[in-house]
Amino acid sequence: MIRAQGLTKTYDGKNAVNGIDFTVEPGRVTGFLGPNGAGKSTTMRMILGLDAPTKGSVTVNDHRYVSSPAPLREVGALLEAHAVHPGRSARNHLRWLAASNGIPTTRVGEVLELVGLDSVAAQRAGRFSLGMGQRLGIAAALIGDPPVVMLDEPVNGLDPEGVRWVRSLARQLADDGKTVFVSSHLMSEMALMADHLIVIGRGTILADSPLQDFMAEHASAYVRVKAPQSTDVEALLVGRGLDVTRVDDELRVQGLDAPAIGELIGGHGLFLHELTLVRSSLEDAFMELTADSVEYHARTEVAA
Amino acid sequence: MTELMAAPTSPSLGRAVKAEWIKLASIRSTWWTTLAMIVLGAGFTTIISGVVAGDIASGKSHDSPGEYITQGLIFSQISAVVIGALVVTSEYGTGLIRATLAATPVRSRVLAAKAIVVSGFLFVVGTVTAFLGYFGGNGFFRSEGVGISLGDEHILRSMFGAGLYMAGLGLLAAAIGLLVRHTAAAISIVLALVFIIGQVVQLIPGTFGEWVMKLMPGNAGPGIVVPVPFGDHMLTPWTGFAVFVGEIALLGLAGLALFQKRDA
Ligand SMILES: Nc1ncnc2c1ncn2[C@@H]1O[C@H](COP(=O)(O)OP(=O)(O)OP(=O)(O)O)[C@@H](O)[C@H]1O
Ligand SMILES: [Mg+2]
Repeated sequence: MIRAQGLTKTYDGKNAVNGIDFTVEPGRVTGFLGPNGAGKSTTMRMILGLDAPTKGSVTVNDHRYVSSPAPLREVGALLEAHAVHPGRSARNHLRWLAASNGIPTTRVGEVLELVGLDSVAAQRAGRFSLGMGQRLGIAAALIGDPPVVMLDEPVNGLDPEGVRWVRSLARQLADDGKTVFVSSHLMSEMALMADHLIVIGRGTILADSPLQDFMAEHASAYVRVKAPQSTDVEALLVGRGLDVTRVDDELRVQGLDAPAIGELIGGHGLFLHELTLVRSSLEDAFMELTADSVEYHARTEVAA
Repeated sequence: MTELMAAPTSPSLGRAVKAEWIKLASIRSTWWTTLAMIVLGAGFTTIISGVVAGDIASGKSHDSPGEYITQGLIFSQISAVVIGALVVTSEYGTGLIRATLAATPVRSRVLAAKAIVVSGFLFVVGTVTAFLGYFGGNGFFRSEGVGISLGDEHILRSMFGAGLYMAGLGLLAAAIGLLVRHTAAAISIVLALVFIIGQVVQLIPGTFGEWVMKLMPGNAGPGIVVPVPFGDHMLTPWTGFAVFVGEIALLGLAGLALFQKRDA
C-alpha cells in the first residue's frame, strides 16, 4: 500500500506536485494518469525517496521508503529514465541489484526468463532496443518479488505484443494481491489495464475513483435522434421526463435506451431518420477533465 | 520460483559493498584502465631504471636507484583518477544513481560502500604495480651491480605507500566527482590539480608559495611513494600523507553533505 498525504514538490518556486492525497491499495491495478508534466514521475520519485518532498509525506507499507532495510523486497520500481549503465550486461545489472538487498542470485535468472531477456542476458544493456531496455527495467523492478510494484510509463517503446505482455503482467501481479501502481498519459491504455484510476493534472488530483465509476461518470453516452418533426419528438420525449438537448437538427437524449426511444416515437406515429447510441470516448473524457491542466499545449499556427 | 530468503531485518554496509564491487568489476573500462595503470606504471619504472642504471653504476650520475624505483607510478596516477571519478560520475551520466539509491536509500551508506570498494581496489592494484616496477627496474640495477633490496630502508613503505596513494587519489577523484557530477569535469579538475596547479604554485613567491606547494594534494600525498625524495622541499612522507588524507576527508564530507541534500 502506498499513502501520500499533502505531498508537495516545488522546483524553482513552481509546484510540480501540489499537496496531493491518495492511497494505492493492494490487489488491484491503480492507474496514475495525467498529461505530460502533470507530476507523475515526480510523485514516483518522492515515493522512492529519490526526491525529498517540499511538504507532506508519502509512505509505503506504513513507513518511509528510506527506512526499509531491504527496499527492493518491498517496492519494485521501473523509472522513466533508464537507470542502467550501458556498458554493463543485463545479468550483471540484476546481479548487483540482488546483492544490494540480499536477494539470492538464482532470482536473477528467473526474472530474466520472466521478461524474456534470458537469451541476451550477457549483452551490454547499451545495445538494447528501447523495448528490451524497458523489459530489463521491469526485471529489475521484480527482482525482490516485492508486494508493491510501481511502473512509470511501462509501455513506452514496446511493440503491441509487449504492451499486451505488460498489461497481463500488471493484472497477474494485482491478482496475486500486490499493490500495482502504473503511470501513463494514455487514457486508452489505462482503460485496458487499470481497476482504479488516479488522474493528475498540474500537480493536482482531478479524479480518484474505480475505473467503472470513472467511465460511467465521464464517458457519458446519449442517443442521437434525428426526426423530420423534431419539435413534436422533442416535446414527446421531454414529456416523458427524459433529458433532451438540441444540437442543430439533432436531439441528444439521455435516460432511456435506443430501442425504447425508437418504439416510443414510432408508437406515436412519428418518423425517425436516425437513432444512434453515441458514446463519447474515454480519451475525450480525459481530455476534457485535464483541459485546464495541460502544461504544454500544442498550438496550430493559422496563417492569416 | 525461488523462495526468497527471509528479508534482512537490518540494512548492511556489507551488502552495499558487494553490490558496488559487482558494479565496478562488471564494466569493461575498469579493467582496461587497470591494465593501463599496471603496464604504464611498472613499464616506465623498468624502462627508466634501465636507462639510468649504467650511469649510476659508473658514477656518472650521483642519483640513487631508490629515486627511480617508483618513477613510473607518475603515469599510474591518471588511471587511479579515472577509476575513482567514474565510480561516482558514471552513475550520474547514465541515471543509474536512481537505481542505486532505490536499492540502498541511505546515502551515507552508498558513499561508504563506494569509498571502500574504490580505495580497496586501487590499494591492491597500486601496490601490485609498485612491486612489478620494483622487480623490473631492480633487474637492471642488479645487473649493473647497484641493486637494492626489499629490506632496504623505505622500500617496503614505498611499495605499500604506492597502494595507499593510489587509493587516496581515487577517493579524491570520487569526491570531486560527487561535487561536479560530470565525468570529464571531474577527471580534468583532479588531473589539473595534481599535474599542473601543483607545479604552477611554485611561482608564488616567498614562504607562502612554498607552503602552498607543499600542501597541494599531488605534492603532499606521494611522499610515501618515493623511497628517496627528490630534493628536500617537500613534507616528510607520513606528514604529507596525513595532509593528503585530511584534504580528501574535507572534500568527501562536502560531497556527502551535498549528496544528502540533493534530489537524485
Ligand atoms: N528535477 C526537476 N527540476 C525542475 N523541474 C522539474 C524537475 N522534475 C520535474 N520538473 C517539473 O515538474 C513538472 C512535473 O514533471 P514530471 O516529470 O513529474 O511530469 P510527468 O507527469 O511525469 O510527465 P510525463 O508524462 O511527461 O512524463 C514539470 O513541469 C517538470 O518540468
Ligand atoms: Mg514522467
